[in-house]
Amino acid sequence: MERKEYSLFELNGLVKQSIRRSFPATCWIRAEMSDVRVNASSGHCYLEFIEKHPISGQLLAKARASIWSNTYRTLAPYFEQSTGQRLTSGIKVLVNVSVEFHELYGFSLTVLDIDPAYTLGDMVRRRMEIVKQLKEEGIYTLNKELTLTDLPQRIAIITSPVAAGYEDFMMQLTHNKRGYQFYTKLYPSIMQGDQTEAQVIKALDRIYLSVDKFDAVVIIRGGGATSDLNSFDSYALAANCAQFPLPIITGIGHERDDTVIDLVAHTRAKTPTAVAEFLVECISRADEMLITLQQQCSETTQALLQAHQNTLQQLTMHIPTWSQRLLEKQQATLQSLGQRLPNIVQGLLNEKQKELTNTLYQMQTYATRQLEQEKAELQLTEQFIRMASPTYLLQKGYTLTVQQGKIIKQAADVVVGATLVTHFADGTVSSKATAIQKKDSIK
Amino acid sequence: MAKKKETYNEAINQLREIVSEIEGGELDVDILSEKVTEASRLVKVCKEKLFKADKEVQKILENLA
Repeated sequence: MERKEYSLFELNGLVKQSIRRSFPATCWIRAEMSDVRVNASSGHCYLEFIEKHPISGQLLAKARASIWSNTYRTLAPYFEQSTGQRLTSGIKVLVNVSVEFHELYGFSLTVLDIDPAYTLGDMVRRRMEIVKQLKEEGIYTLNKELTLTDLPQRIAIITSPVAAGYEDFMMQLTHNKRGYQFYTKLYPSIMQGDQTEAQVIKALDRIYLSVDKFDAVVIIRGGGATSDLNSFDSYALAANCAQFPLPIITGIGHERDDTVIDLVAHTRAKTPTAVAEFLVECISRADEMLITLQQQCSETTQALLQAHQNTLQQLTMHIPTWSQRLLEKQQATLQSLGQRLPNIVQGLLNEKQKELTNTLYQMQTYATRQLEQEKAELQLTEQFIRMASPTYLLQKGYTLTVQQGKIIKQAADVVVGATLVTHFADGTVSSKATAIQKKDSIK
Repeated sequence: MAKKKETYNEAINQLREIVSEIEGGELDVDILSEKVTEASRLVKVCKEKLFKADKEVQKILENLA
């Protein structure tokens, strides 16, 4: 069998033809952009398309690619305008490519068109995944639930010191029209590209060390549409912000949808200047409340003084009339008293007179009755005495028996044979006791 | 001032209290003048917080890590 030999060039040529045959037209591929570099002079954009294992993140495929300047010039702005995201490493894209194979430069893809919707979809999907995870961990609303003090004056600023955002913010803040006082401290950080996440977290950690010195943290970045967002759609950064003990206010300068860090932050503003305006507005609300309180204070004092004055006035006005009336009343009573005095006195006298005669009469009747009573009593006792005397009894027929000089009241006391002397009204009889019969034995 | 300056919120609350006391209307006149002077002092304290730069706070922030 005849061995077939090719030169390398021939081989590559054959490969080139077979690729061209199997890929006659361009095709749409989904891939992640990485190592994106734009050659300033030529305007060509060179990059690599990669694909990682969705779970393990292990690299599965890689291909060199380029976007020639004539395409890049229109494609890049178009993409940025519709996604608010610059063509940078790390974003997933759906691109129309032609498959090339060059004998010398080998396999490469030439990007001809792009479908931003896919990237947007991917961004949104990624964002939702992060939000879901934050919610599951129950930390999604932590920062939102913090209360911003009435007077957010001490602000920690995380931004890139050189970007326009910082200047606009400081200008707006320090030259606010009412001259409110703010105290700021810059924590510089890269706000673009893959360094962003680590740097912002580092800044947050530094602020955390003096967390009691601040009222709020502000994460701002100017630059409008040219800025890229995916660095702010990062789980680590969002989790950090969500759990940060101070309210975080974001102003990452873009019109389109919110990044995850916007969603977890206490307050989201569109631009750095908007954040400054928000802070100034907080202070002016407090100022206005103070002014209203001040007004209330003077108004109520005024009202109170007015009220006191009125009462005072009324009093002074009424005093003459009242005193007048009082005097008149007193006179009237006096007069009426004066008139009634004589008959009052007369009445009193008569009353006393009557009283006197009355008692006199009472005395008399009382005295005579008293006497009568005494006389009656006397008579009674007299009668009583008379009746109680023995001579009266004797006259009535009763006799008195005496034995040896002692009056005998019972038959039992008599001694048979003893001489008894019986007293009668007209004289006495002496006798001898012969026998004693007891009352019951007689029955 | 010997007394530690009230915080902004303390001052505001005291101010509100005074206003409601005056609104109550029973306040007699001589206490009224005392209350009003206290109220104006509190307003001054709050205004200072809003407008006057507090050197101390500035210094603290400057030499933070």
